[in-house]
Amino acid sequence: MIPVHLPLVELLIDIFAASILVTAFLIVSSRSLVFYIRLFALQSLLLGMVALLVVIGYGETHILIAAILTIAIKAIAIPVVLTRVIERIHVQKEIRFRMSITASLMFCGGIVILADSVAQSILRSPHAEASAVTRVLSVSIAMMLIGLFIMMTRQKALTQIIGLLTMENGVFLSGLSITYGMPLIVEVGIFFDILVAVLILGVFVFRINKTFESISIDSLRSLRH
Amino acid sequence: MSTIILGLLLGLPVAGTLLCAVLHQRRILETVTVSVGGLTFLSALWLVAEVMQGTTISSSEGWLYADALSAYIIIIISGSALVVALYSTGYLRRQIRDGKVSDRQLWLYYLLLNAFLCTMMVVLLSNNLGFLWIGSEATTLATAFLVAFYERERSIEAAWKYVIICSVGIGFALFGIILTYYSALHVVPGSGNALNWSSLMLVAKDLDPAVLKLAFIFILVGFGTKAGLAPLHTWKPDAYGEAPTPISALMAAGLVNVALYSLMRFYVLVNTAVGGTYAPTLFMVFGLVSMGIALPFILLQKDFKRMLAYSSVEHVGIIVFAIGIGTPLAYFGALLHLLNNALAKMVLFLTAGNVRLAYGSRLMRRVTGAIKVIPVSASFLIVGVFALTGWPPFGVFISEFTIVTAGIDRGYVVPVIFFIAIIAAVFVGFIYYTSRMVFGEPNVPVTGGEAEPLALWVLGLLLAALLLLGVYLPPPLEQVIENAARVLKG
Amino acid sequence: MATIILLSFLFQIILVIALAPLVTGIIRKTKARFQHRRGATVLQPYYDLVKLMRKDVVVSSVASWLFHCTPFVVFSSMVVISLLVPTVVTPVPLHWVGDIIAVIYLFALGRFFMALVGLDTASAFGGLGSSREMSIASIVEPAMMLAIFTAAVTAGSTDLSVIVDRLSTTPASMLNPSHLLAFAGLFVVSLAETGRIPVDNPATHLELTMIHEAMILEYSGPYLALIEWASQVKLVIFLALMANMFFPLGMATTWSPSALAVGAGAFLLKVIGLALIVALVESTNAKLRLFRVPELLVVAFILSLLSLILYFIVGA
Repeated sequence: MIPVHLPLVELLIDIFAASILVTAFLIVSSRSLVFYIRLFALQSLLLGMVALLVVIGYGETHILIAAILTIAIKAIAIPVVLTRVIERIHVQKEIRFRMSITASLMFCGGIVILADSVAQSILRSPHAEASAVTRVLSVSIAMMLIGLFIMMTRQKALTQIIGLLTMENGVFLSGLSITYGMPLIVEVGIFFDILVAVLILGVFVFRINKTFESISIDSLRSLRH
Repeated sequence: MSTIILGLLLGLPVAGTLLCAVLHQRRILETVTVSVGGLTFLSALWLVAEVMQGTTISSSEGWLYADALSAYIIIIISGSALVVALYSTGYLRRQIRDGKVSDRQLWLYYLLLNAFLCTMMVVLLSNNLGFLWIGSEATTLATAFLVAFYERERSIEAAWKYVIICSVGIGFALFGIILTYYSALHVVPGSGNALNWSSLMLVAKDLDPAVLKLAFIFILVGFGTKAGLAPLHTWKPDAYGEAPTPISALMAAGLVNVALYSLMRFYVLVNTAVGGTYAPTLFMVFGLVSMGIALPFILLQKDFKRMLAYSSVEHVGIIVFAIGIGTPLAYFGALLHLLNNALAKMVLFLTAGNVRLAYGSRLMRRVTGAIKVIPVSASFLIVGVFALTGWPPFGVFISEFTIVTAGIDRGYVVPVIFFIAIIAAVFVGFIYYTSRMVFGEPNVPVTGGEAEPLALWVLGLLLAALLLLGVYLPPPLEQVIENAARVLKG
Repeated sequence: MATIILLSFLFQIILVIALAPLVTGIIRKTKARFQHRRGATVLQPYYDLVKLMRKDVVVSSVASWLFHCTPFVVFSSMVVISLLVPTVVTPVPLHWVGDIIAVIYLFALGRFFMALVGLDTASAFGGLGSSREMSIASIVEPAMMLAIFTAAVTAGSTDLSVIVDRLSTTPASMLNPSHLLAFAGLFVVSLAETGRIPVDNPATHLELTMIHEAMILEYSGPYLALIEWASQVKLVIFLALMANMFFPLGMATTWSPSALAVGAGAFLLKVIGLALIVALVESTNAKLRLFRVPELLVVAFILSLLSLILYFIVGA
């Protein structure tokens, strides 16, 4: 596994990684739930492309299946499921925000800087050259934090799922960037878990919608002490 | 030999899950679940006998692995699963008779109960830390519908919180595991093994301390969420309060220990690699904070099951604090407390279930004079509370006393004073509320009666075990715990 | 030497000033096609300008000298900018006058006079337009500067000609993620600066929503023609900035006729391509409510900020 020096592959990975970050910011900047889902699908597609590029550029064939799974599950299956959920519950927009969009965007800009400093401290370790794509580690940490941020500031149940998935995408990208992904069988197990989690959460969204007649988690306020 | 034991431990719950998936008759479901619990417990005993001498066993090309620590936890888990399976039969029959549970729900209950046991076994038997993660996330997913079991507003809310918070936490843990993998990738021969506990421990001293330190933070947050360490415990009272009582019992006695087990594994790894007081200090701080945060919620509680949930937060704090002290004696105390806490929690959750069946309410102010209505359960309740809050001659007292001694030996006088003060205050709160529940006159007409004899016998047995652990520690158990403590030492 | 300078002046002026109405025509035609209309010919903006030139000027009795001089200030500032922005050949004709910062200031000069004149005639709409224009400008300008400065940082100079030269010598850096992000930021800024959907609607005279049109509501005849022309030039300048500051492919560096022909062809292709994208954006988006506009511009600002951060993270 001698890393082949392929400037084009590196360039494309950089571009895709930057685009992934942009999709996260666009999610933060938008209000429409349908848009969230589309952006998430795009984000996962780009993530799958990064994984494919790692396969092509660095001969890490074991990621191939993870790349295909990313595209099949995260870019296609999960968005389809979530779109179904949206169609059934007739909720389209995130209305009330705990933090205005403008402030959120600024905050997320700060998150990227923080993420970069964390990433640098990780990469300072002696095996910093373990992988040729460590540059995207900052992006992946930023994704995790932005996902968490989305979950903390948005109220619709569906947005929370999107935040969680964004975070998961960040974790996957971090694995890709510093270790060329986890061993295949572990990766497959993780995908299975995520898929099941989304299905379960989707069922809960239906039930919340049925019992509370809205999918704002703000109405989930009875359990407090 | 080892293949058979490990295969049985993992295969029995899997078989139980599959059987429950295809069978729908109540009697068959009950039989399958109870026998899976029983057989798993027997296999766990066999496993303990195998690793008694501090040896380890592994199989399936190193994918499955067990040492004294995992064997000890497995015995607690499978024992709890057996008790809960036995108790569930009567509990659910009553609920079906009262029209609170449908046949389909019953099926789902037993299916998920088996799946729950199965996922916990995956965590405990995996050699690969990645699989440990997958199993942990799967425990959340298996219990999600159990928390939402009654399909009321509150239970769906609780289940939503539970899945979301635990998934976020465990997501951070995954990042921590990736960082661990990263630090090991160039040290462990053969990258396929770089996540295996058995290979990691061999080279722990060569791992990059800086990366592992960061990884440990993420892992502490992640598995700390699953274990219910403050400040990420907020899902716990909701989930414990809303789940069917036997499930709450299994979560408090089983799931908590599984999460603690994951924490311990990484604690050992990081402690060996980093050395010094890094991991121990974090553990002590998080432990004390958890105990401190749980206290006011226990003192101002309306719902008995939620109070028990906060008590669970407190006891996780105790165990983590004890591990943080970091002497062999403290490890011994922590591990013993794991068992005592599991026993006491089961007694109390299950008696709470009996009270619930009799009174039909979860609020403590609605329950008075239980001793006149359900005398056996009520006396179990009051004795159980004494046991849980650490009174002699029960086991919890011994383990807490061991922890205090270890702490003072090590010179942590101030933390230990806090520790004792919190335990004393918790005791006051518990006794205040339970004595009001147990004594006095019943203020409402009580519809239900005493639980069925099987459940009472099981409870009595658990209390007897707690009492036994308070006065006499059987030598085989002592040896297992000592060996497990040796694993914790690294 | 003098002839060359003169030639280059002419070249830029013809390309930018004379072609500006054509670009607007192309955008309008494309939008019409998106709406399943046939639309007016692409030359219609020329006809409009000629028609306006022939008409009389009606001036409000309360208007001051500002009203008479603003069209010339605005138009001439655009002319100067068009000589500062690289189009076909580097170095740009007026490269010794100033760099990208001068461009930004000249835009601000035009905007300043427009806003004043909106207030000058004391019409309610003019004041409304001015206040909206200035409040949007206060967010647009930082975003624009950030986007442009990122490009400047990557190239190590604020001189537009130098930026173009550096990029031309290392074509791979045109696809640098931070470069692309800065481009995206500048694209959104351009939509706002040139008054396109989703910030402003160039086709509307619906009083509640208009911004740019509200300020020039009092103008007629040749004055209106000059201002309309100036804003068409402004659009082309922005397209040229986006095209050449970020993708200076095919730019001529010598004055040989063949190089110039290639440069001019590449420039036309790029500008028309970008114009088509603008038309696409305008056709597929609805105008934002006014108080949602800052959100869009903050997105542009964040894109530029991200590009700057990424430049330091990933490296050029």
